Amino acid sequence: MSFLTPFFLFGALAIAAPLIYHLIKRTTRERTIFSSLMFLLPSPPRLSRKNKLEDLLLLLLRCLALALLAFGFSRPFVRSTAAVEAPTGQTRRVVVLVDRSASMRRAGMWAEASDRALAQARGASPADQFALYGFSTQATPLVSFEEWRNTPVSARTDKVAAVLGATAPEWGSTRLGAALITAAEALADATKDEPAAAIRQIVLISDLQSGAEISALQSFDWPKGVQLKIESIKAKNVTNAGLQLLVEAPDAEAASTTAAVRVRLTNAADSLKDQFQVGWTRPGSETFIGKPVDQYVPAGQARVVNVPVPEGQADLQQITLKGDDEAFDNVVYAVPPEKQQVPIAYLGSELPTAITQPLYFFRNFLKGREGPRLAFDLTARAPGAVSAAELLAAKVIFATELPAGATAEELRRQMLAGKTVVFAPTSAAAAAGLAQLLGLPSVPLTDVNPSAATGARVSAGSGYAMIGEIDFRHPLFAEFADPLYSDFTKINISKYRRLGADAIPGARILARFDQGDPAVVEVPAASGRLILMLTTWSREDSNLAQIISKFVPLLYGMLDLGGAIPAQVVQYSVNDPIPLALVAPAGEAVSVAPPDGPAEAVAAGTATFARTRQPGIYRLTAGARTARVSVNLDVAESRTSPMPMDLLERYGAPGEAKTVDATRESKREALLQSNEAEGRQKLWRWFIVGTLLVLLIETAIAGWTARRNAATVSTGGTTS
Amino acid sequence: MITDPQNVNPVKGGFVDPRALMSIRHLEMRARVVVEGFWNGLHRSPFHGFSVEFTEYRQYTPGDDPRYLDWGLYGRSDRYYIRKFEDETNLRCQLVVDRSKSMTYGTGSITKDKYASTLAATLAYFLHSQGDAVGLLTFDERVREYLPPRHKLSHLRQLMLALEKPAEGKATSLTDPLDHLVELVRRRGMFVYISDFLAPIERLEASLLALIAGRHEVAVIQVLDPNELALKFEGASLFEDIESGQTLYIEPAAARKAYVPKIAAHNAAVRRTCEKLGVSYLQLTTDQPLENVLFNFVKERQRRGRPGTVSRNPGRA
Repeated sequence: MSFLTPFFLFGALAIAAPLIYHLIKRTTRERTIFSSLMFLLPSPPRLSRKNKLEDLLLLLLRCLALALLAFGFSRPFVRSTAAVEAPTGQTRRVVVLVDRSASMRRAGMWAEASDRALAQARGASPADQFALYGFSTQATPLVSFEEWRNTPVSARTDKVAAVLGATAPEWGSTRLGAALITAAEALADATKDEPAAAIRQIVLISDLQSGAEISALQSFDWPKGVQLKIESIKAKNVTNAGLQLLVEAPDAEAASTTAAVRVRLTNAADSLKDQFQVGWTRPGSETFIGKPVDQYVPAGQARVVNVPVPEGQADLQQITLKGDDEAFDNVVYAVPPEKQQVPIAYLGSELPTAITQPLYFFRNFLKGREGPRLAFDLTARAPGAVSAAELLAAKVIFATELPAGATAEELRRQMLAGKTVVFAPTSAAAAAGLAQLLGLPSVPLTDVNPSAATGARVSAGSGYAMIGEIDFRHPLFAEFADPLYSDFTKINISKYRRLGADAIPGARILARFDQGDPAVVEVPAASGRLILMLTTWSREDSNLAQIISKFVPLLYGMLDLGGAIPAQVVQYSVNDPIPLALVAPAGEAVSVAPPDGPAEAVAAGTATFARTRQPGIYRLTAGARTARVSVNLDVAESRTSPMPMDLLERYGAPGEAKTVDATRESKREALLQSNEAEGRQKLWRWFIVGTLLVLLIETAIAGWTARRNAATVSTGGTTS
Repeated sequence: MITDPQNVNPVKGGFVDPRALMSIRHLEMRARVVVEGFWNGLHRSPFHGFSVEFTEYRQYTPGDDPRYLDWGLYGRSDRYYIRKFEDETNLRCQLVVDRSKSMTYGTGSITKDKYASTLAATLAYFLHSQGDAVGLLTFDERVREYLPPRHKLSHLRQLMLALEKPAEGKATSLTDPLDHLVELVRRRGMFVYISDFLAPIERLEASLLALIAGRHEVAVIQVLDPNELALKFEGASLFEDIESGQTLYIEPAAARKAYVPKIAAHNAAVRRTCEKLGVSYLQLTTDQPLENVLFNFVKERQRRGRPGTVSRNPGRA
């Protein structure tokens, strides 16, 4: 039996109050002042005649009447079967989100996280829906709702334990916001086709480091009724410092004589140590190569350290930090800058001292591009004087005149084998050589003087042509794609060579003169290519060499196309995609060798390589080009000091306090059911009827007793 | 040793009823009434004329006060003789009166305090009228007021005023005032200690002994209410200690059986202590006439064989 208003039952206590008062009353209101109590002992209470209970039956009847009244007011009812079957415990739908970021590699953290996740699985009732997600850069299900549901109840915990045992922290950064959104969406998705759960909960097991990225939550509308329970894991060692590789500043590169790699040394806000050593090491070894740099970094601050590259050491790839407690972020992978000698061949009969001729400008251009990491070895020869070996060694071959005979054949062979040849004919007389180079019977080439030509632009009495239509999608002109740099009108062309239409099959016209004639043409030739410029940068042909903002990038682009420019020091974070254009600007097939595994072939046309799951040096190879790319830990992972506890709530993630809602809702429902049952049964009526009956009996007995007493008195009897 | 005054006093019928006496508001007047009544009683008593104590003659030498020359003897013998008397004002009596709150208890209009004050005033008046020096010390848990013994009318007035102050003490210490007096009073004298003695008496003997050792004469008068001896109450009630405020639920009929022997034993202990030290002890209840006290007092003094210390003023002999 249940009661709708059980507080009325306290009314039944009213029976006891006068009874108890009567029985225990022993004090008197009278007070007697006396000189001294030193000879008096307290008297025990005496059961006087007044204390004795008389007419027990009447007393009991009256008490019963009061009790029945109290029961009636408390509105009793018997729970119906339906009400009994109502769920007493609430089913939960839980996503346990375990942090697998690199910072969880700290001592003991992953073991504790696994234990807590397992405890959550153990705590789940058979009716609960449970899923386990791991997250670092992105959240992935380790045990999905479906797997949980399809696993026998007895084997569920074992399954979670097995999954956790086979899982380890990754090297990724902590994208906590995105992971929470994934988990919340997983909770919402699964609700559609499954019975509604009373409690929907995300249990976040993480070190909650301050480097975690949670800004994604800002634009996320947190679903109603989904609660977030946070189980924070505390690190045993608080001191942690991390390294970040910095890209060299070009100025610094030009100024310094000794090569160095710059790293930023960051010390966590709660660190206890502030003295560190930074230096080059070999993988798997603790000893520094050369002299390490000693650096003092107070807790919560960062310093930039120049780590000099030790001389005479080949294949250096990592810089190690020593002096902190946690090793996971102590290695930064870097490709030390190496000075590269790039051989370039130049075929032309100009004198280097002729200051209006292409060679002069070209030589100056190359000198201006040299630095500690790059030097050009220019071989300028008359077309007939160049040797086969020189042609073979050259990375890129520039020509204003083409050789004839065997040398021409050699040049063609080299081009077909993969060399890039840039040919800028000074006159239409080069047509024969060009035809030979391309293996064509003839190439129609005519000299054009725009000032004299029909339709040429005439400006202020002197005619010149301009470069008009440009294919900015091509790597050669991609640099100029920005409108800021795309103005080529300052280049005035006095003379150029007109190439006949469709003269070269397979040629791609990269730029045209404003008359519509091709200006720059790319001719693929087997593995190599020919870049044909139909004007030169000599003073006689154009003012291109004076327009440095166009001339330098254009020639640099040509060198780069030919693979003559070594790749820049670039670095990526773990799980960042590496653009393959570094080695395959034209989308060739690339082979990527990760730090710990066999090389993977990436199909041609793929823009990026995304499987950068661990830090290290990735070696990219595309034909003759190779690049070493360093992939490092996200620098935010080194910020291991805990984030403010209320930060997540400030971003809209509800705390556990809001869980009350579901419980309150179920309580309200139970109350409604009780109300309904009581309204149907109306048991209180019977109790009121019982009360009236008892009172009737009481009145009858009391009357009878009174009459009997009166009769006894009248017959002369005495009662004591 | 003092015997019960009610049994031995032959002139009981002539004494003033305490209730009538206490209706006199003025304390000095009350004292005077008692003392006058006592004198009247004495005139009819067998102790008449004991007070002038002539000791001896000695020959006059130049420098002696000529007032004391016995001219009658000179007439008879033609020689100058000086009459020598026992010093009549050498009694220095210190009244020690308990003014603690327990003394304010009393059935009817007579509280123990009022009775004890009147008693002290009577003794003071009596002694003053004999030419003795009287002092007063009142106490409760500590000494409240101290007036050294003097024979002056103004001093007597001051003493009466001190006795008329209400009793306010919260507790009673029976020994502290005595210890205090031992330090204060160096000259030999007499102490009359008036209290209800309703307090622990463990140290009483030591304190009295210190006084005796100082060759002081000590008289102890215990003033009690008749109800305190017999616990004649009716009906259960909460008994409240007048000093501490502590309450106990008491049914007098039941409690009396234990109470009466206890208080009797306590009083007997006080009496025994006094007997042991040769201190005169007198127990009074507030329904006894005060003249009896005076009578017993004088009688006791005489019995102790130092009649000269209690002498009548020669002028009244």
